[in-house]
Amino acid sequence: MLIFTLRRLNLFFFTMLLLTLLSFSLSFLFPGNALLNVSGQINASPEQILLLSESYKTESSIFAQYISYLKHILSGDLGISMSSQTPISVEIADLLPATIELSMVALLLAMAIGIPLGFIAAIKHNKPADNIILSIAMIGYSIPVFWLGLLAILIFSITLPWLPSAGQISLLFEIKHVTGIQLIDILLSDNAYKWQAFQNASAHIILPACVIAVAPGTIFIRLARSSMLEVLETSYIRAASAKGLTFNQIIFHHAIRNSLVKIIRHVGLQFANLITLAMITEVIFSWPGIGRWLIDSIYQRDYTAIQSGLLVLSCFIFIIHILTDFVYAALNPMARDNKHA
Amino acid sequence: MAREKIYQEEEFPSPFLQLWQIFRQTPVAMVGLGCSIFLIVLAVFSPILTPHSAIESNLDMLLLPPSWDPSGNITFLLGTDDLGRDMLSRLMSGASLTFGLSFVVVVISLVIGVLIGSLSALTSGIKASFLNHFLDVVLSIPSLLLAIIIVAILGPGLSNTLWAIVMVLIPQFVHITRNAVKEEFVKDYVLASRLDGASSLRILRYSVFPNIVEKIISQATLAQSAAILDIAALGFLGLGAPIPLPEWGAMLKSGIDLFYIAPWAVYLPGLAILFSVVATNLVGEGIRHSLKLHKES
Repeated sequence: MLIFTLRRLNLFFFTMLLLTLLSFSLSFLFPGNALLNVSGQINASPEQILLLSESYKTESSIFAQYISYLKHILSGDLGISMSSQTPISVEIADLLPATIELSMVALLLAMAIGIPLGFIAAIKHNKPADNIILSIAMIGYSIPVFWLGLLAILIFSITLPWLPSAGQISLLFEIKHVTGIQLIDILLSDNAYKWQAFQNASAHIILPACVIAVAPGTIFIRLARSSMLEVLETSYIRAASAKGLTFNQIIFHHAIRNSLVKIIRHVGLQFANLITLAMITEVIFSWPGIGRWLIDSIYQRDYTAIQSGLLVLSCFIFIIHILTDFVYAALNPMARDNKHA
Repeated sequence: MAREKIYQEEEFPSPFLQLWQIFRQTPVAMVGLGCSIFLIVLAVFSPILTPHSAIESNLDMLLLPPSWDPSGNITFLLGTDDLGRDMLSRLMSGASLTFGLSFVVVVISLVIGVLIGSLSALTSGIKASFLNHFLDVVLSIPSLLLAIIIVAILGPGLSNTLWAIVMVLIPQFVHITRNAVKEEFVKDYVLASRLDGASSLRILRYSVFPNIVEKIISQATLAQSAAILDIAALGFLGLGAPIPLPEWGAMLKSGIDLFYIAPWAVYLPGLAILFSVVATNLVGEGIRHSLKLHKES
């Protein structure tokens, strides 16, 4: 396990190095002055610019510039937004929890629905139930998320006025910002209308989370199906049925556990896909998350925000990736002495 | 004296042909292939086939519902949008923009990716390890996010979107080619031709490529469905095709404002995207299914 951890840390370090290099080079690739792109100080006076160029070492070699950029990032200074002139680290700290909340709810939904369906499909292999589930999976996998979002709004918010179509919570409720994850904040607060607020916030999150969950959910169906089929072929399952265990006992005691381990390995990979879907869905549902903010900053040519947004989002995805790797290794001893990272 | 004619020719179909023979027997995959060919024909011949112009507006016929609606008009089969442009013609020309361009994008990135991938499979050591790590990093960034960043560098527009998607797809092809070539290179038949004195490039061209082409095509269908969705998503976000062009994603975006009055302006482009992605995925599924059967036989 120690070697495994060291390998992962090595990979993590290397990836961070590449990601910061990428985001550092973006300030040169974007149109305009590199110093202004990286700091976002578009209204700075000549004296301030002089100070800035000293702190970012623009006169020195490119390597020294990169080192000073790293120092700025490590001290939490991601520059200020070109359009709103507020520090980007503050904006991201405000917005990222909302995206985490939405994507986590969607991930849980996708797993809770997709994995059992996949298991059912595998158990009824090559029967009508299997074919129906697979066809649904194919359509869910192919459906464009923005279209699905619009249809969901049309059906569930306009034709049947069941669920709200935009925002995170009704404006009537005032929730103090503690963790930033709204549902937890509500439970922590000592508001008299706590439960009404909680209901309202959950009504707001259902629709976008379902829309995001469709595509990853169908991928989980396929993953669960193939891993279950693989497990059912193995000799320990045959041994269990030779011992006289009933089919249900085999499925619940042996097959499900072993196939779940294989699925967990893919959760990290699916997360990147899920974040992409969340970005588009945030735009449609006016969810105050980092995806909508990032797309808005492209419309506004806010290069500082794009640069830092990319860095933060990909770091976040990568951290989730590494975490699932650890969970997988903790559950499956065979993965620990895998030589390749 | 009549000589008896005996042909003792044994036919060895190439791996690709063997795959096709299995592929032909799955009806669902053939339906997908038929739909894909239909879309390709539509993409190529749409300028001749469209009943009306896709861009010219027709001010007498604003927001006409589809022809099965009582107030519809049969000359505009699928109705018109807010500028009186015929939906059917726009959808047909959209096939050449969304489906046709995604096809072009996949072909370009396939060629570049396979070249880089097969060359990198021949290298080893620090260069290869660096490339591996670099690919891991690029593949861990979501494709749409990467495309958005590249569009932000190049500026919005259809051609920039296409280049962005090409660059996003290349690492996937590099990755799959690299792994497939490495897998083949340790097999005995490669060793045999190496003992015959063939150079690495010759082995790659004559021995390895015919055996990995189906894997690359199966990746290409995945890339194609991702490319269609990405082009449409960027069009929808207003970063891709400009509004007057009948790109399906951009059509959806311009239809949103009229969602309540003219829902067909939103349904139809979405259905078109869904149709083309399902057709592509069916072909891909068929290929992967026959690959599996082929391996087992």
